[in-house]
Amino acid sequence: MSTSMATTPATTHAVAPAPAKPPTPRPCCNHLLLLPSTSHRHRRGSVVARSAKKKNPWLDPFDDGPDEEFDYQGMFAGGKQEEDPRPPEDPANPYGFLRFPQGYNPELDSLASKVRGDVRRACCVVSGGVYENVLFFPVVQMLKDRYPGVLIDVVTSARGKQVYEMCKNVRYATVYDPDDDWPEPAEYTHQLGILKNRYYDLILSTRLAGIGHSLFLFMSSARDKIGYVYPNVNSVGAGLFLTEMFKAPTTNLSDGGYHMYKEMLEWIGRPAKNVPQQPTPPLRVSISKKLRAYVEGKYDSAGVEKGKYVVVHGIASDSVASMKSRGDDDCLLPLAHWAQIAKEISSDNKGLKPLFVIPHEKHREEIEEEVGEDTNILFLTTPGQLTCLINDSAGVVATNTAAVQLANARDKPCVALFSSAEKARLFLPYMEDTGSCTVITSATGKLIDIDVEAVKKAVKDFEPAPSFALAK
Amino acid sequence: MTSPLLKAHSHAAAALQPRRRAADLHGRCPATVHLGRSHDHGFTSSRSKRSGSAKVKAFPSLDVVPLMVTMVEHVELSRDYVVTKSIWHLSDATLKSVYTFYAMFTVWGVCFFASMKDPFYDSDAYRSQGGDGTVHWYYDRQEDLEASAREELLREELLEEIEQRVGGLRELEEAGREEQLTK
Repeated sequence: MSTSMATTPATTHAVAPAPAKPPTPRPCCNHLLLLPSTSHRHRRGSVVARSAKKKNPWLDPFDDGPDEEFDYQGMFAGGKQEEDPRPPEDPANPYGFLRFPQGYNPELDSLASKVRGDVRRACCVVSGGVYENVLFFPVVQMLKDRYPGVLIDVVTSARGKQVYEMCKNVRYATVYDPDDDWPEPAEYTHQLGILKNRYYDLILSTRLAGIGHSLFLFMSSARDKIGYVYPNVNSVGAGLFLTEMFKAPTTNLSDGGYHMYKEMLEWIGRPAKNVPQQPTPPLRVSISKKLRAYVEGKYDSAGVEKGKYVVVHGIASDSVASMKSRGDDDCLLPLAHWAQIAKEISSDNKGLKPLFVIPHEKHREEIEEEVGEDTNILFLTTPGQLTCLINDSAGVVATNTAAVQLANARDKPCVALFSSAEKARLFLPYMEDTGSCTVITSATGKLIDIDVEAVKKAVKDFEPAPSFALAK
Repeated sequence: MTSPLLKAHSHAAAALQPRRRAADLHGRCPATVHLGRSHDHGFTSSRSKRSGSAKVKAFPSLDVVPLMVTMVEHVELSRDYVVTKSIWHLSDATLKSVYTFYAMFTVWGVCFFASMKDPFYDSDAYRSQGGDGTVHWYYDRQEDLEASAREELLREELLEEIEQRVGGLRELEEAGREEQLTK
């Protein structure tokens, strides 16, 4: 077990002071190697004070931290790992490279890479639905930035998997619901087999782990097992099977809003020898040409033109495709309110039309009754298509659904309706930096009491997007 | 020390003891190695290890097979020919097992060998879609499709980025040229 790369500064430092040689305590973590040795002692007190986590000596009694003499830095600049070498070319092979016979698992990388603890294949087990997976994109990007050349796979629920058609950094996305407490035994073992077969170096999990889930991660035979654990007694024993664990602030990780994976991001981007702390990347999503063409056809048939409609998302529905966050229960607005807002949008003489996005076909009739027969309605459930739709729109009016995050990820003007100011601060912490997003919060803490007049005023600011701006 | 199978056998052996002795005297069991005194049998060897006698059997003994006759033919200037004749009756249950095995083997063989030349699996409709005879190819293919779509996405993004950079450079160059022209 290589814990050299897998220990946080706080963790190792708590163990570091060896009583035998107090004058020069051995720096046990990578980032301390960056500091001059004089600063060690006076920093220590504060670090020990804030390190609530202890290192478990049972995990590896011989772990003395990273080797001081070893060159953890690769040949290339930046101090990060190198990308994997390419298999040797084979001219006789029609595939263009040497294919190894079945049953052989050749190790192509250098031994140094293994000693250094390079991460070459990483797996992310992401709990939750669309919203949680969209917010996971920065973590994937961070992995890619911090470990150049890493192959990232994702294991998530069926709903969450759909998100990854917008993620360029992921290789395989496998459907397996980590939130299912009683999976089919066959499914469970099958998934374990898949994970074992892929020989991961790192497995990350965002499901709050107890002993059961950490055993699942352990049995995947990944080298480093990283995950969130329950903040309560349910986490008992989970640490034995995990290399690094983060205690979730509450039992629901989604309560953290946009920064719900903060601890994990910090850990992945932690400084190593000669490698500074990796900055947290913003949420970005990408759209493929194929998807764009498909969605174009779709909204054309719904009767709207490119750049001349406003996406309305967040209609009260019991559908699983509503794309709401687990951290916000009160985030869907009934149709009566939406009807007023939509009227305001279409009453402008800018030629903008509201386009209702419905998660289920059963809402079509309701909208036609409530808003009017000639309303533009689009039945759309996948987040990828929603992103395309938002990208081609003039703006978005949405409650706290994934649409808000997607609009901000594509830099589209957005009016976000929140049940309270705290929720808005949690879910849109970057709102001050990006001027394109208007947040309207309900004064009473319930979304249904939201000030519709304020929304109407905000909606008036939408301008039809010029066609050249949408070219990309 | 012994498996239940052997123990059961030892009971049978006890019942067959007198005849067996006789057989031993005639030197019947060819696959039996006798060490030390011949009347000391394997199953008592742990008790009488000191006496240095053990009987090791390489094959299951023929005790279940009743000996019918042992003929010794004496030929001059030659070894004796010993011919042992025995008879082997299968019980009804065993016979049933044998036939069951035969039937199952036949069924397996029909399934296996018949499917080896299934025209569907050799057809272009199956092979052209990527079928390789395993049952899992469909899912592998799906995964590969998705992965390649994402790779394509990555390439598109990269191209876009490069184009933007190149565009920026070009703008800079043009701006520089214009400056030169105005000077």
